[in-house]
Amino acid sequence: MTAEVLKYTREQIEALEVAPGSQHENLEGWVPELATDEEIKAAIGKALDYRGDVTLTLKSGEKIEAYIFNSHNGPTLADSWVQYFTPKAADKRKVTYAEIARIEFTGKDRAAGKHWEDWVKAYNEKKAAGEKNIALHPDKLE
Amino acid sequence: MAVPISQMWTVSTYVLKKKLSGTKRYPLVLMLEPLFRCNLACAGCGKVQYPPHILKKQLTPEECFAAVDECGAPMVSIPGGEPLLHPQIVEIVNGLIARKKYIYLCTNALELKRRLPEFTPSKYLTFSVHLDGDREHHDFSVCREGGYDIAVEGIKEAVKRGFRVTTNATFFDGTDPNNVRKFFDEVMSMGVEGIVLSPGYSYDKAPDQTKFMGRARVRRLFRAILSNRKPTWKFNMSPLFLEFLMGDRNYDCIPWGMPAYNIFGWQRPCYLLQEGYADSYKQLLEETNWEDYGVPSGNPKCANCMVSCGYEAPAVIDGFGSLKGFIAMVRGTFTRYPDQHALNLLNEPAAQGSPALVKIETPGRQLEETRA
Repeated sequence: MTAEVLKYTREQIEALEVAPGSQHENLEGWVPELATDEEIKAAIGKALDYRGDVTLTLKSGEKIEAYIFNSHNGPTLADSWVQYFTPKAADKRKVTYAEIARIEFTGKDRAAGKHWEDWVKAYNEKKAAGEKNIALHPDKLE
Repeated sequence: MAVPISQMWTVSTYVLKKKLSGTKRYPLVLMLEPLFRCNLACAGCGKVQYPPHILKKQLTPEECFAAVDECGAPMVSIPGGEPLLHPQIVEIVNGLIARKKYIYLCTNALELKRRLPEFTPSKYLTFSVHLDGDREHHDFSVCREGGYDIAVEGIKEAVKRGFRVTTNATFFDGTDPNNVRKFFDEVMSMGVEGIVLSPGYSYDKAPDQTKFMGRARVRRLFRAILSNRKPTWKFNMSPLFLEFLMGDRNYDCIPWGMPAYNIFGWQRPCYLLQEGYADSYKQLLEETNWEDYGVPSGNPKCANCMVSCGYEAPAVIDGFGSLKGFIAMVRGTFTRYPDQHALNLLNEPAAQGSPALVKIETPGRQLEETRA
């Protein structure tokens, strides 16, 4: 079981009035230290949650722009891998943790700045200004 | 009764066969996400928060059919993203109909009216149109003024052309149950087959992280909404799942009952949590630590979840898998759930503020015991 499991009892869960939301971390531009195995695993965990591309620099020197969506934690870094899509290829690819020298959170964080409060504020301002057809629009696909 | 007899027969015989064969885990509904691209940017939905190259990707019809064939679920829900933006959605739907799968194509209906002529009405195909409430509430919820009118136009045209149509609503904290009940009247007057509803879930990537109800509050809201039903209301859901939402019965989540498949693979453990992907449904079943999820696990990520992708499958299995469950399901189909306490809840003062600007906090209320 993961460490966070068993945080609540059934009674506590059944009695919950309001569920806590999650804190959004500002990771855009972050370059984590990868000195230890634990730091590598932690950085990959953050990359998995990140809604933007990262740049992986491999020990071979190759740089990969990647959207990381899956991982496997094996007994060693050589047995552990991440799975990703790149902007220029259709297929899913994998690279082992052992091959990764550097991770940079280079892509735009697509989850940032899209809070409910932002929408409420923008809506109220536009409404007050007499604007019609107020809407949020999906990001352009560039 | 909202669900056609043929669909109930298909599902009931499927459940009984699985029960008789001793199969422990099996899917009832495949959540097939052919793409994440959408023409809305709703607060409350994190599905559009991907880089452009991910949003441009989509499953091919062949990939969709392979997933459907592998897992074998009798029903397929097609959410997204907006499925009607997929250029081959008609081919996907027709391929699933040829496989005699009951399809719920979930759409915001912005493109529905325009694309309807490409589809053929079938008992296997239902358009499940996202409508979160009346005009003001829905438009605010999906962050687009005018969205309700376009969706309703699509619904009416689909009904006119002989398609099966349901509406699909998600209710977050601050929802006024009286408004929802009026909304049900409005929806049924459009000629839809039934209503589908769900409580909101604290989806980790959702832009709106402030309005998620805990289970006690979910039960109170749905008890107020679903008790003392009007005879005109029909629900395209298991009556036992609705009783679960009202706090009249309890189930444990079975995420493998409604597995999700998308461009990344088979999502672990469910449609809402993203804790990795498997390459096949078999791998998903065999290599996921299912005991880490659901209320008994104590996992905080599952703490407030009462949504259909985890809890409707056990309700359906309960209803078709035992005589006791079947009797309860039949009774639930025809009962109006008279409840004075629920009437009292309806008469409580509504949350302050504009009904459209959903109130986040409900001050001064004590934790209420429900019957769960």
